[in-house]
Amino acid sequence: MATESSSPPNPPAAGGTPQNSATETVQPANEVKQDAAPQNPKSVFVNSEPIREDQVQNAVKFLSHPKVRDSPVFHRRNFLEKKGLTKEEIDEAFRRVPDPSPSAQPTVTNQVGQGVTTSTIQPTSVSQTPVPIITVPSSASSSMFALARSRFQWYHAVFAVSLLAASGAGTAIWVKKSMIPRLKSWIRWVVMEEKNGDGGITNIKPTLAEEAAAAAKAAAAAASDVAKASQEMMISRYEEKVNMEKFMDLMQMQVKEIRSMGSAIKHLEGRSDKIERTHLVEHGGHSGSITNLKPTYPNGHKPEIDSHSARSSLPPTSADKSAPPHPNSYMDDINDQPPNPNQQISNPRLAPRSKPWEGAYQAKTSSRGGFGSALNGEGGSDFGAQNNEASNQVDAQSTVPWWQKKNSRITETEYVEAKPGSTTVVQTNEQPPIQRTWVPPQPPPVAMPEAAEAIRRPKSKKEAEPVSQETSGEGFSAAEVTDELQRITKISESGGEVEEMHSGGQETNGGLLGGLKLSEIEEEPVQSY
Amino acid sequence: MNVSKTPFNGYSVKFSPFYEDRLAVATAQNFGIIGNGRVHVFSLPPTPTGALTEIISFDTADGVYDLAWSESHDSLLIAAVADGSVKLFDTNLPPPQNPLRSFQEHTREVHGVDYNPTRRDSFVTASWDDTVKLWSLDRPASIRTFKEHAYCVYSVAWNPRHADVFASASGDCTVRVWDVREPGSTMIIPGHEAEILYCDWNKYDECLIATSSVDKSIRVWDVRNYRVPIASLNGHGFAVRKVKFSPHHRNLMMSCSYDMTVCMWDFMVEDSLVGRYDHHSEFAIGVDFNVLVEGLVASTGWDQMVFVWQHGTEPRGP
Repeated sequence: MATESSSPPNPPAAGGTPQNSATETVQPANEVKQDAAPQNPKSVFVNSEPIREDQVQNAVKFLSHPKVRDSPVFHRRNFLEKKGLTKEEIDEAFRRVPDPSPSAQPTVTNQVGQGVTTSTIQPTSVSQTPVPIITVPSSASSSMFALARSRFQWYHAVFAVSLLAASGAGTAIWVKKSMIPRLKSWIRWVVMEEKNGDGGITNIKPTLAEEAAAAAKAAAAAASDVAKASQEMMISRYEEKVNMEKFMDLMQMQVKEIRSMGSAIKHLEGRSDKIERTHLVEHGGHSGSITNLKPTYPNGHKPEIDSHSARSSLPPTSADKSAPPHPNSYMDDINDQPPNPNQQISNPRLAPRSKPWEGAYQAKTSSRGGFGSALNGEGGSDFGAQNNEASNQVDAQSTVPWWQKKNSRITETEYVEAKPGSTTVVQTNEQPPIQRTWVPPQPPPVAMPEAAEAIRRPKSKKEAEPVSQETSGEGFSAAEVTDELQRITKISESGGEVEEMHSGGQETNGGLLGGLKLSEIEEEPVQSY
Repeated sequence: MNVSKTPFNGYSVKFSPFYEDRLAVATAQNFGIIGNGRVHVFSLPPTPTGALTEIISFDTADGVYDLAWSESHDSLLIAAVADGSVKLFDTNLPPPQNPLRSFQEHTREVHGVDYNPTRRDSFVTASWDDTVKLWSLDRPASIRTFKEHAYCVYSVAWNPRHADVFASASGDCTVRVWDVREPGSTMIIPGHEAEILYCDWNKYDECLIATSSVDKSIRVWDVRNYRVPIASLNGHGFAVRKVKFSPHHRNLMMSCSYDMTVCMWDFMVEDSLVGRYDHHSEFAIGVDFNVLVEGLVASTGWDQMVFVWQHGTEPRGP
């Protein structure tokens, strides 16, 4: 990362121009792409257009619209992005339009920026005096609002308290206003009745006393009612608490049961898969019946988030995706959590293979080291370990190695299960780009001398191609490729061995035109026999 | 030529970058709306016709929407699961010992995952929670979160030549190009008027990117001049779900769509449609090229079928 820090404004992502890649091919193989970056300071993947003023003007008009002002900033940005504005243009438009709502961070910084820019722009505008006044209160209100947001909770609390007090006072007044007239009318009605019964002014005074007594009684009755009600509430709460405790005890017991079941499952899992599945289903059903006691959750994608508080007592193993356990006839209860979250990731058995588009360069570099492997008789189903470093290389767009590989792949897919008896078939499998980290054993004896001759004397087809020492086989055209393919597939269908060898011989030789070592190695076993 | 039926509906198919004859299929029950999921690992049989042989399969509690083979370990698979988790499977270990890891960070369905093919040490996931996350196999948490899209991010794709650059396609109708060294996106391409479902880089020209959209078209863009697409390929009858560039030919592309067909295109040619396969009887959701075998392609769909065939031949066999 040290190389990137050298030019912060324009990130030195690896340059993508063909010119750059051409220069890279010349450089040594081990150079990482990032090292090539300083050559091309401007990345291709960045907007290199200048800011378009007309687009910015349109964006400013859009942002100044009152309806747009009410929408969230995120939506405004997204709309402008969809219209094709670059990030710089959008930022510039936001900068130009005063934005009082502090709903997102970029706008908060824009506020500060605006305060400065508006004050500087004002002197140039025609109506100087009203505009600053407008902007100042807006900025003041915005700052107040910002302050208010920070003290949001305090205001909220004060407001709530005052609201409660007001409502309390209001109910008291309402009660006084409504209860007293009701009382009075009721007493009057009683009095009227008494008057009708007894008929006397003398009843007025006792009625007053009675009124008072009745009012006192009513108040006492109300108070006693209230006391009773509160007592009942206390009792019910206590009962609830007791029930909850019982419930919790039950849950604990069930949890223990589930845990034991879980351990039993794991124990049984070790034996066989099928047995495990049936147990899971069983216990899934069982746990389903247990968990039905809980309030049923919607079968959503976020069981943990929704039910976190209720599930806090459950063990972590069953807490994850067992939201599905309940009314699920359409799915099984599957625990897909890692059984051992700290399990080591095993080392790879194969080295990564290079991609077909990664160029011929790796063929050249690895051809020097890979010839021994090319002649190896022990093919096996493990396709060769390839050079990891080759993958880091360069952007040359030659199609050589994958063409060769492609041929060999086709043969491999045809032959891979059939054990190749003859060595030359295997030779087609092992291509020069393959580099092995171990030293291969001695190449097997040449089973057919014709192969050796074929290798040394390639057919005219191959020689006719323009070949240089450096570029092996680059002259092969697509037609050649398909011809080779067809021939090879025909050969595979017929199963003829001799022809294979020839093609194999041609293959290896065609692939290794640039290398001299092959002929040397080839000659040794020939000489020894 | 090789066909297999999966118990669940297929969502994605990927060939292994290590073994020519190996592929993985991500499936989800009930079309991925609700239910379990399963990851199958198949091997191509030696005969050109016949069913794929299943090597191993892993069950998940929710549907698997996408998967990616590790480019560094030959047996590791990363699955994007609909419950927001990203799971790591090892095909060498039996199912009870899997998954090796389950990263639960996304708050909504993880819809896409791609492994870095150049530096081979990290992968990115795309989720419906509008974010893209960058991960590494040896870290328990994500390395970075990229939050800029305004709607679901449907897919991510690493640039095949630049180890730090990737692109994301989203339902907010934009494609964003990111550089992991930068805090935000470096380029915003408003590619279509409708949601963009997939994006893929050209393997031979690192500045070309293809997008497929709900508006039934595929567009090929050059990032150096992204105002106008290089090509706009029409021909699908419904939304195009995936588009892939061939790893062997610069101009060849393959796409699958809700019109149940898989189409081959050559975007440099006037009449771009090169081939059309209608072997699926339901939405065709997943396609992939085999990187190691030229011409070998695979597709899967909601009809629970997985087809593997050579481009140019009949997928259902002779």
